[in-house]
Amino acid sequence: MIILPNTPTPEQLSAAALEAASGLGATIAQFRLAKHDMRGVSLRDGEVENIGSESNVALSVRVVHSGAWGFAGTTEISIQGAIDAAARAVQLAKLSAKVLADEVVLAHEPSHGKQSWTLPIEDDAFSKTDAEIIDFLQHWNSKVSSSSIVSHIESNVGMGRDQTFYSDLTGNEISQQRDRISAALTAIHVSDSGFEDMRTCAPPAGRGWEYLTGTGWDWESEIARLPEYLDEKVKSPSVKPGNWDLVIDPTNLWLTIHESIGHATELDRALGYEANYAGTSFATIDKLGDFKYGSPIMNVTGDRTSAHGLSTVGFDDEGVAAQEWNLIKDGILVGYQTDRSIASKIGMDRSNGCAFADSALHSPIQRMPNVSLQPGSEDLSTKDLISNVESGIYIVGDKSWSIDMQRFNFQFTGQRFHEIKNGEIVGQLKDVAYQSKTPEFWASMRQLGGQQTYLLGGALNCGKGQPGQVAPVSHGCPSATFSSVNVLNTRNESAK
Amino acid sequence: MSGISLPEAVEVALELLGADGGVVIAGNSATNNLRWANSTLTTNGDSIDQTLSISAFVNLAGGVATGMSSGQFRSRSDIEALVEASKASAISAGPAVDAMDLVAGPNHPDFMEPCEVLDVSEIAHVSSGLSKIFADPSRHFFGYAEQSLDTTYVGTSSGTRMRYSERTSRFELCAKSHDRTRSAWSGQGGTSLRDVDTNQHLMDVSHKLDIQLNQIDIEPGRHRVTLSPSAVSDLLIYMLWSSAARDAAEGRSAFSNPSGGTRVGEKLSSRRLTLATDPRVRGIETFDHVVNLGSSALGSAFDTGIEIGRSEIISNGVLAALGSSRHAAQEAKLPFTPLTDNISLVDSDGAGTLTELASRMGDGLLITCLWYIREVDPQNLLLTGLTRDGVYVVSGGEVIGSANNFRFNESPIDMLSRVIDAGSTVPCLPREWADWFSRAQVAPLTIEGFNLSTRSDAI
Repeated sequence: MIILPNTPTPEQLSAAALEAASGLGATIAQFRLAKHDMRGVSLRDGEVENIGSESNVALSVRVVHSGAWGFAGTTEISIQGAIDAAARAVQLAKLSAKVLADEVVLAHEPSHGKQSWTLPIEDDAFSKTDAEIIDFLQHWNSKVSSSSIVSHIESNVGMGRDQTFYSDLTGNEISQQRDRISAALTAIHVSDSGFEDMRTCAPPAGRGWEYLTGTGWDWESEIARLPEYLDEKVKSPSVKPGNWDLVIDPTNLWLTIHESIGHATELDRALGYEANYAGTSFATIDKLGDFKYGSPIMNVTGDRTSAHGLSTVGFDDEGVAAQEWNLIKDGILVGYQTDRSIASKIGMDRSNGCAFADSALHSPIQRMPNVSLQPGSEDLSTKDLISNVESGIYIVGDKSWSIDMQRFNFQFTGQRFHEIKNGEIVGQLKDVAYQSKTPEFWASMRQLGGQQTYLLGGALNCGKGQPGQVAPVSHGCPSATFSSVNVLNTRNESAK
Repeated sequence: MSGISLPEAVEVALELLGADGGVVIAGNSATNNLRWANSTLTTNGDSIDQTLSISAFVNLAGGVATGMSSGQFRSRSDIEALVEASKASAISAGPAVDAMDLVAGPNHPDFMEPCEVLDVSEIAHVSSGLSKIFADPSRHFFGYAEQSLDTTYVGTSSGTRMRYSERTSRFELCAKSHDRTRSAWSGQGGTSLRDVDTNQHLMDVSHKLDIQLNQIDIEPGRHRVTLSPSAVSDLLIYMLWSSAARDAAEGRSAFSNPSGGTRVGEKLSSRRLTLATDPRVRGIETFDHVVNLGSSALGSAFDTGIEIGRSEIISNGVLAALGSSRHAAQEAKLPFTPLTDNISLVDSDGAGTLTELASRMGDGLLITCLWYIREVDPQNLLLTGLTRDGVYVVSGGEVIGSANNFRFNESPIDMLSRVIDAGSTVPCLPREWADWFSRAQVAPLTIEGFNLSTRSDAI
């Protein structure tokens, strides 16, 4: 799928790289060519602040030589560039082998031969002109700019397209393409007593332009209500800190899942690979199969197959076919996310396909698949959940997030905090942060919304690894109710 | 990558931009890295990234517009495509709010010189040191080493031709006890991995792990703490990123004056603290001219080529300036204050090492690293995050053991009003932000009533 004018084909580059690596003694050699296109437009108070595009292409060779990994990447897309990358990868592998304790062993994956996979979209966002995108954002701005509560407006649209070619010595030649799109509008109120803001809650998605025009999200209604939400927030009372029952909307809960389950069930973290940087995990290998992660109604899957998922692919960056599997079953930890080398370390027959690199200039590492909390068996609505809460807070939209390096202690805020009294929403609260420890929080989950509340949230900027890499990832979940969660008043937290 | 060199590509792009002009940046970024965990090497990498980036200026009826594009080039036609894309974006964008005349910046005589080349010898220096570290069977070691060399060519239609090379190195060593109840970290930024004494870092983390043999439970709450230079730098870098004059003047920043205007001139600390960005500070030198492709609260493409001098954001405890582009400075009626990629914090009355400062604290906690720092409330710049890899209990001026970790909720601005003592300024590696900001020289600080909000059980 990658077509570069006046450049050798992916197959020609691959053949040169793999032959060079093999000739230098590599026992395993993997070639990747990746093209990443991005476009973005941001408006500030209706004027364009930034507009631009990027198109980056690179190739890389990863080898195992003398039992050690070696990786080299380059933006020189030529036969010589591919051969040089192979030589540099072998050189680094030899250097690493001198201080290596554990030789690299890969879990088996059958060769899939020549494959092609494309994430389906309906309307190609990259076909839109800059003027069309700007007009579109200005239309959104016009829906809130007349409100007296709105002092400033920030809005943006971003889109990305990854085209990759993967090959290895086992005969794989896999071409893939996937698209994603994101947008947001933030309304800001400024007064003598301070400032507040309110942002749309729509997540980024593995979709095309159709996502901004009504497929998968009702932008028009949400943006039209932002001034009302903002006005109510500005006038709302500050929360009383203490233990509250929470009904958490999928627009907020996806991020809590990402931080407290997604990262905690990464096998490389459990094995210590991220200990110097992103951290480890409390969900260590010895807990697999019997650790009570949360309440019995908690079922969490990992997958690289969800429709419109940001981590959805046909094959991962080691040639492993996309799969779906259980991470938490009936509240018990039952699985991890793996790539081929760490899968072999815990005796798994096969990797579940979570190797990913954000460009051909970075070595693939184990990254997060779509990690999703399954809806309840009864198809309850969010209103049903709220009706079962005597005194609590309904939290909508994500904002601030932070969690410790073993994924225990977390603290999140949100866009809106609706107070619940006797099963009804009575108004907003502000200055809310909820803070808990992962197993305690998930053990307190007492009710799940049904399929009708299920939403695929997600992020484009999940960071991990050294050198740092970013990955897009989705998290599906229903609304859910949690009992007696510690709520902080952020103004109290900052008071001297 | 093609028959056209990077400086030649800059010239070709400027020619194609025509009379309306613009800014062109061509970069060659070379990096080597090693990573290790559980006392064995895990991943590594060697990459070469050449990219051409263009900010086209287009004269429209209402003013000058800008648009950006970037990517690789393999021929003149690729450069033409990038120029056309950036021009098309500019025309659609309409006049830029921050449009100003480009200055005639420097014309470096070595502009046409080729990129500097990075070889593996520096990373090899570290790998040889790791052999000795991994031979210590009493703990497990984790870490990362990176050496990068960036050569950048900047050309503008006003005649600016700048070429600069920056070497950046980073070494991090984390040690954990086999039972994973103790964890310590040591880090070093700089320009060359050859300057890293791996044995010194080994002794540092080993000493810290020995102290942690005595573990003392400490309840959350407001504590007197001494923050290491690394921890201070992580908090102040976030504050620096939040110090935009534009946002403050608009009333939407912690640096806004509630009665109008900004807080510039307000005394933030009773200590003689000076927080500066200065590209010429010895040991953390960085490029001393503005290089910008787009617009933000802190910069503008139209400022490219302007010399960056020393800017004191806080001067002797007083908020003295806020970061800005020329346009933002005009709007905010404040001096133009371009920021650069380094930070220094000096307390004129500060003295002594981190250990000596902790000792002077008497009773309190010595915090070595902060992690996962995020903004909770922009109105007061309340930040949250975690302590990590070493909180030490100080009693009677002596370090007597280690404490559990905590989540903190603190505003770095407010924190400055509670600084009660400071040490001497030293080089440090920001633990949280080193991926983006590694040039720091900062004084350790003792803070009264630091809000350690809740307990973290993480090790």
